Amino acid sequence: MAKNPPHTPETGLWNQLNAWMTKGPAGYTFLSLYTLITSALLITNPRTSLFTDIVFVLFLLLILAIYRSRLDMRFKVGLAVVALGFVLPYFGTLNPYYIDVATQAGIFATLAMGLNVVVGFAGLLDLGYVAFYAVGAYLWSIFSTPQIGNMISGATPVGEGWFYLFIIIGLMVGGLFGVLLGLPVLRLRGDYLAIVTLGFGEVIRVLAVNLDKPINITNGAQGIKDIERPPLFFAPALKALGFNLDNNQLYQLFFYFMVLLVVLITMLVVGRLKNSRIGRAWTAIREDETAAIAQGIPLVRMKLMAFAVGASFAGAMGVIFASKQLFINPPTFDLLRSISILSMVILGGLGNIPGVILGAVLVTLLNLQILPRIAEILRTAKEAGLPIPQSFDPTQYQRLLFGLLMILMMIFRPEGILPEDRRRQELHDHDDEPVEGQA
Amino acid sequence: MVAEANVSKQNLQRQRTLQTLRTVFMPLGQLLLFIVGSAAVLGLIVVVVAFFLSRSDPKIMQTAIAILPQVMIDGMVRGFLFATIALGYTMVYGVLEFINFAHGEIFMVGGFVGAGVAYLLMQWGLLSTLPWIVFIVIAIVMGMTVSGLLAMATERVAYRPLRNSPRLVPLISAIGMSLVLQDVVRLIATSSPLGFNARFETPNFGKPFQIASIPLGERAIPVQISPKAVIFIVAAMLMLLALNYLVNATRLGKAIRAVAQDRATASLMGINVNQIISLTFLIGGALGGAAGVLFGMNIGTVNPYMGFIPGLKAFTAAVLGGIGNITGAMVGGIVLGFLEAFVASYLSLFTGGAFSGASYADIAAFSILILILIFRPEGLLGESTTQKV
Amino acid sequence: MALLEASNITKVFGGLTAVNDVTLTIDEGSIVSVIGPNGAGKTTFFNILTGIYKPDKGDVRFNGQSIAGLRPDQIAARGMRRTFQNIRLFPNMTVLENVLVGMHTHLRAPFWNILLRNRSLRLEEGKARDKSRELLRFVGLDDKRDNLAKNLPYGDQRRLEIARALAGDPKLILLDEPTAGMNPNETVEATHLIRRLRDERGVTVVLIEHDMRLVMSISERISVLDYGTKIAEGDGQVIRSNPRVIEAYLGKAAGHHG
Repeated sequence: MAKNPPHTPETGLWNQLNAWMTKGPAGYTFLSLYTLITSALLITNPRTSLFTDIVFVLFLLLILAIYRSRLDMRFKVGLAVVALGFVLPYFGTLNPYYIDVATQAGIFATLAMGLNVVVGFAGLLDLGYVAFYAVGAYLWSIFSTPQIGNMISGATPVGEGWFYLFIIIGLMVGGLFGVLLGLPVLRLRGDYLAIVTLGFGEVIRVLAVNLDKPINITNGAQGIKDIERPPLFFAPALKALGFNLDNNQLYQLFFYFMVLLVVLITMLVVGRLKNSRIGRAWTAIREDETAAIAQGIPLVRMKLMAFAVGASFAGAMGVIFASKQLFINPPTFDLLRSISILSMVILGGLGNIPGVILGAVLVTLLNLQILPRIAEILRTAKEAGLPIPQSFDPTQYQRLLFGLLMILMMIFRPEGILPEDRRRQELHDHDDEPVEGQA
Repeated sequence: MVAEANVSKQNLQRQRTLQTLRTVFMPLGQLLLFIVGSAAVLGLIVVVVAFFLSRSDPKIMQTAIAILPQVMIDGMVRGFLFATIALGYTMVYGVLEFINFAHGEIFMVGGFVGAGVAYLLMQWGLLSTLPWIVFIVIAIVMGMTVSGLLAMATERVAYRPLRNSPRLVPLISAIGMSLVLQDVVRLIATSSPLGFNARFETPNFGKPFQIASIPLGERAIPVQISPKAVIFIVAAMLMLLALNYLVNATRLGKAIRAVAQDRATASLMGINVNQIISLTFLIGGALGGAAGVLFGMNIGTVNPYMGFIPGLKAFTAAVLGGIGNITGAMVGGIVLGFLEAFVASYLSLFTGGAFSGASYADIAAFSILILILIFRPEGLLGESTTQKV
Repeated sequence: MALLEASNITKVFGGLTAVNDVTLTIDEGSIVSVIGPNGAGKTTFFNILTGIYKPDKGDVRFNGQSIAGLRPDQIAARGMRRTFQNIRLFPNMTVLENVLVGMHTHLRAPFWNILLRNRSLRLEEGKARDKSRELLRFVGLDDKRDNLAKNLPYGDQRRLEIARALAGDPKLILLDEPTAGMNPNETVEATHLIRRLRDERGVTVVLIEHDMRLVMSISERISVLDYGTKIAEGDGQVIRSNPRVIEAYLGKAAGHHG
């Protein structure tokens, strides 16, 4: 009934600054300088420290700044390629810790985008998402190690070259599990679905712990170690270019680029699905099931598709993760993992792709960098005699963090920290830019 | 004339009392029926399976029958545990159509309050001198008060502002609340003398009651029930009776049922809907808290994460009995408790130790949830309803 | 020729017979109204036609084939679309997207084409957009196509719901109280739009309506339901003078006097 409120011109100081910095010559200068300064700071001072932490976070936020700016597409892509394709990996060879953080952020970004298809697009609350990730991870772990011999007597592990094929297999098996879980439960109402998927996640974890007998499939609570890694086909080329790197560094670079590639593919796939008949049907189901079905949308089939698509990303990522970690065990795939992925999606805004990536990066940084850093500060403060509870270690209080995040986001900002659609709307309302076709 | 009128008035009065008694005690009768029924059906299955297995190993039959009474007692204790927690889920679902994910944590808080009370009493040297019944009453009343108020507070803070949002939104908030409560209690517990795994001290309740003794070969297997288990069952039954009375025979109960039927109309009839919803959380939370105290006392320790799995299973019980239906929640709890006890005890016996029963009991519970939701989503006692468009 | 034939439809909820042995035939190209007091079973009847409820007895034939027992989406895909009494748009989608969702059954792009975003997909999407815009122009909402549906004024939301229903190229469109809550001006516009549905688009229209002026002015046939039973049928003239109808609307006394 109420019309859109009339658009107020950008009046606030921050808004003016924002508008000035993201457009025109000032924008180009600002972004170039931003890239230059943060890159220089990282490369000249790669030691792990609070200062480097801050610079590293600023460096990652650069990608967001690039994305949100309204500059020439070629410039934006070029800058992103320089930052993510050259500066970050080079910095990684100087300090392995930070590139591992970036790789993990990428893994979670993919998982969060996958879960976003299920929760954000189709509105199906899946609390057992990590189960599909576990399926992919166990798949590669079993087949690439002597564990396969425990399962099928006489069988020998597949070679390291099978890794790439197994990513595809992980994708398909993940999707298959999604369908298997989805078939019985997708007729259920939304809140029942949440409970059932939660139960499913627990069942998969319990199975992983207990399926070491009667046949040893998962090796039980001990987990599987010495998981195979793919061959380093690019090592000779790097050597020829004069980079002398050890195997550890090479693998770090390999997984960094591998994950980066998967993130890009995932973005592309999810983005295209979103703006297609399928994505529209998902959104319609999320908004109003009865109205969606009245438009001829087959509910169960579309929900199954969402489940399968979401699960297949997790399955494929599981293969990569197992190979990167070298070791997996059941606690890696507990409920808290599912919850942390869900909180990334919620932080970024349900259904919003760039927001969800940002959410994944922020939560990963929080987990791996910020919380340990706070813990360190608290420790020194305690040594200095400040009254801090004996056993309080912030890194151990992720539940509290995720819980607060969920409640606060739901109450104060259910659209996420980066509400893209509204911005697009606003943009359109007064700039009269075309809505479509910017991708 | 006057005498006649008096007689008919008395009659009416008596009829009403009878009516009340029936509504209060009938669910209990149903409950007992289900206890006996589940025990009989599962016992029969066990005997039949054991019979076939005993062809290869004659010992199986003996063992299976020898442990049967103990398994049934165990099932009953679990059943009452799930039943008391399930009531909180079902009542809240009844009035709000909302799964209060944090209810398992309300239960856990009750356990901690009980442990805390016991710790303080021990510090003051009262634990061994107080009569045990006084200890139990204090612990349960404290647990009920704190859990009830906490449940009410969570509703006020995290659910009420979201009452008109899409369904997913309050659900996510409730999941968040569950996580927050787990870690807040953990923070408090680990900074207090209780610690993460807090011992739940109790006065000495005496030796287990010996019910029977079953000869197995040369040995005799005693069938015992611990005093704690008896206390659990008696207390749970008393609470269920009280709840039945409250919901079916008081004005407050009528108001709760009215709000559950139709919130808008109830508010037009002058019922303060917000207040009733708060009270529903209070009552459900208090029951959960009492269950927590009894559970903690029974197990001997409590920890901040202990509410999650029982909460999930209690929810399963609520769905099993027909969510929103109070008698259904109790019945569902009993059935699930028995089932779990049987799976936990007999699975490894019957598979020759290949599958550990305790781990697969969880899987059995969730499988039941999924099967029930698919084939009879309205539950054992629920009536099928059609969504109105 | 009969486009829709509902014969002897009965639906019971618990002990209540919501629809009792109702038979209704709708000719292609007609505008038909179903009227009756509140609670007479009109919306339930619509829900049976569109497959949301299964009838306990009776059969529904649409376009020569039985559709009783099909799912709502299958019925919608066969060319029967509806609007809802209490407007059910997709509130957080844009106006254009709402219409595109209505076109779902006509978009056939396979999964792989969507991922590859190839020529055939772009062609299909382009066509779908053009057609959606044309429909939005038809109902007068093209200039608001990028607004979120929830931000539209009430009358626009009703029109958008009609555009969305049209997107499936329906043979038959069921309108559930299309002018509920409208002021007299908006009602006149809505009447005009409903007539254009049939005249310009060749869509057969069935509507549930309470506004008698609208019903009388627009319908070629009127069926009256009361307590789940069809009590009268005919053109406006017949209905107006039918004593049972007057009784149903105004009570027994009025029926005897008037």
